[in-house]
Amino acid sequence: MTTSNDNPLLATPLSPPLASSSPASTPLPQYPGAGELLRSVAGQAVALRGLTKAFGERIAVDHIDLDVPAGSFFGLVGPNGAGKTTTLSMVTGLLRPDAGRVVVAGVDVWTDPAAAKARMGVLPDGLRLFERLSGPELLSYLGRLRGMPANVVRARATELIAVLDLADAGNKLVADYSTGMRKKITLAAALLHSPAVLLLDEPLEAVDPVSARIIRNVLGRYTHSGGTVVFSSHVMAMVEDLCTHVAVMAQGRIIAAGELAAVRGDALSLDDAFMHLVGASDVQEGGLSWLGSSPA
Amino acid sequence: MVGIFASLKWRLVTSRIRASRGGTKVGMVILLVLVVGFLGLTAVGLAALRVVPDYAVPIIVTLFAVQLVGWVLTPLVAFGVDETVDPARFALLPIRPQTLQQGLLVSSLIGYFPAGNMIILMGAAIGIGVPLSVLPIALMCAAAQLLLCVVLARAASTSMSALMSSRRGRDLGMGVGLLIFVLYLGFVSVINNPGDGSALQGGVERTAAVLKWTPPGALASLPGQVAAGEWVRAGFSALIAVAALALAWWWWSVALNKSLTTVPSTTAGSSPAGHRPDDTAVGVGVNGTMRVVAGRDRRLAWRDPMRRMPWLMLAVLTVVWPFLAVRGQGAVFAVAFGAILCGSQAGNQYGVEGSGLWLHLQTITDRVRARGEVLGHAVTVLIPGVIVVIVAIAVQAFAYDDYDKIPAALGVCLSALLGGLAAASYLSAAVPYAMPQSRKSLFASSVPGQKGRTAAASFGVLGGGVLIALPAAGAAVLSLTVSPIWGWIALIIGPMVGAVALLVAAHLTANRYIEQATDIFAVVSAGDRV
Repeated sequence: MTTSNDNPLLATPLSPPLASSSPASTPLPQYPGAGELLRSVAGQAVALRGLTKAFGERIAVDHIDLDVPAGSFFGLVGPNGAGKTTTLSMVTGLLRPDAGRVVVAGVDVWTDPAAAKARMGVLPDGLRLFERLSGPELLSYLGRLRGMPANVVRARATELIAVLDLADAGNKLVADYSTGMRKKITLAAALLHSPAVLLLDEPLEAVDPVSARIIRNVLGRYTHSGGTVVFSSHVMAMVEDLCTHVAVMAQGRIIAAGELAAVRGDALSLDDAFMHLVGASDVQEGGLSWLGSSPA
Repeated sequence: MVGIFASLKWRLVTSRIRASRGGTKVGMVILLVLVVGFLGLTAVGLAALRVVPDYAVPIIVTLFAVQLVGWVLTPLVAFGVDETVDPARFALLPIRPQTLQQGLLVSSLIGYFPAGNMIILMGAAIGIGVPLSVLPIALMCAAAQLLLCVVLARAASTSMSALMSSRRGRDLGMGVGLLIFVLYLGFVSVINNPGDGSALQGGVERTAAVLKWTPPGALASLPGQVAAGEWVRAGFSALIAVAALALAWWWWSVALNKSLTTVPSTTAGSSPAGHRPDDTAVGVGVNGTMRVVAGRDRRLAWRDPMRRMPWLMLAVLTVVWPFLAVRGQGAVFAVAFGAILCGSQAGNQYGVEGSGLWLHLQTITDRVRARGEVLGHAVTVLIPGVIVVIVAIAVQAFAYDDYDKIPAALGVCLSALLGGLAAASYLSAAVPYAMPQSRKSLFASSVPGQKGRTAAASFGVLGGGVLIALPAAGAAVLSLTVSPIWGWIALIIGPMVGAVALLVAAHLTANRYIEQATDIFAVVSAGDRV
């Protein structure tokens, strides 16, 4: 596991500028040592090398390297604005990096997005769904769009809806779903094609305890069957409870990564280790003396 | 307290100008000056009506009535245009309802829209304030009219606010949008109905005779009645206006109290999807993907009012508009305008779902599927479009006994439809724009900062439709001037050129989408925030 930019391949600009309109027949860009990188990350479910993204002056993700071993339950933690969502967006092909490489299940996401996206299931945070479809309709549509036979889609969708406790929703539109139900139906869509890697952004944020338990169970079953889960979260206790590996992000950089016990070190809990790593301190005493003294 | 409301609203009104810099600021000031200039000219025109008092009163009676209807209906089709008048925002503050109502009234009166209305009303007051001695009364009537507009609009929108904050309520609001559109067409047709005298005069006079018994009409006719010494009529008019204002104020206060003290009803699950058999198409190749996408679009076209209402409007417009625009033989060709607009329904296809586009980003990952998607959207528009165009042409041909022009008109209109479709598809990828996902209004089609993109895409579709229809239009001209056989040639080349344009557009759109999907995604996701 490395956290610095020590790979000469990394600074290679990944793509032409945004508004480019190269003709359809342009071959996929070739990078120096593309094959080497793929060989060197064999056995990793996800590998990031020199991944970088800036929004104007602000660098959101700053040359990060990260390896996620296949079959691991990998937690990506960090304070708000650390760059977790930006990183996951670049890994899932929703946001174009300024530089760097992303390999998911042995495929470079930005040179062969079609193959990479067939191997990943995604649950983004805060993005809309096709709101006017019902849950079963959404799964049927996405499954068939991926080229899966209709009867296979129907069988899997029925099973996923039952396991995720969405059967009661019946043919309610997604627009009328609660937050927990939305997370669950998105997870169902992410699992439908049986991908090798699940990439989940805050999957348990604002989810009720019952739905959270169901989601955790399903994710546990998925990793036991050999799948890899990468998920971002603010909730340290849950990460400590679920994950085998963890990476801590702050200010666009990975400041610690590895097996959970190694990252926690001598600290009492992952929470304490995290506070120490990101340099945060508890609320200071003093001040606020007026609190509770007046109704106005 | 009222002062705080006024200053809050003033800050909001001026914040965009204060926050902008350099060129943008200059542009906004120039735009403002142009709008004020235009309104000023309109006001001068209305003021000039004082030289012809016989026309002035009926015209201004009608104007006042239309203005009031506009004020009342606008919040229903564009709810949430103004946060400072949304009572829910103030529900947690310790303010008494009476104070809140006064504060809301003052903040409703501050803004570009009320200011613009006031300029027009000043002109109207001068127009009906004949002789000069009744001008003060006319100005008071104009002020009362603005007050009536504001109070009634607030009362209506407050009593609707609980409903409009739910998805089902907003869906109903879109129905109101359609109603306004049909009312407008009816109004234009009545006003333009010639009767005995000149078109405008006859229509307006008959309408005004009825409208002057309504509160805005009473306000507009009051100065004239005072000037003529018709004291009983004048007193009655004043009574109508004051009673209306009092009633509206009372309605508003009741609605405000209710909205602050009751929980809005939830309508979750009020509109389930129904049990339709599942599609079985599979997204393999262009054809398969096209069928999967078209299946979803067809489902949503029935279910989603944002997609359904424009089609109902277009069906009405395509059939009715030629009657208003041409009124005679040759009206069959005017259907082409509606045909291009039908084609425009495939416009901004990547922006319709806001950030929901990520689901397609994950699944439509190669050029073949992307082409299938474009064609899938196109087919969903093409089928109802062709039906609407054929019905509209048949109606026009029947109305004006214009059967011999059918082949040429069909050729022109079908190529316009396909051309609009091709342009709309390509511009979806080339000039994508965010669509407000809060779905508060059928007519709110752009988000702040992207109005230019929205306008460019819309005009691009019109231009593209016209361009593709040109060959068929040329043949149609020859059919009228040289030989009717050219009509049949138009019928062949029109759809052919259109179909080729659509296929080429699908190819180019798909390539552009695959290359720039993340950029398109970034642009259209902005719709989530509005």
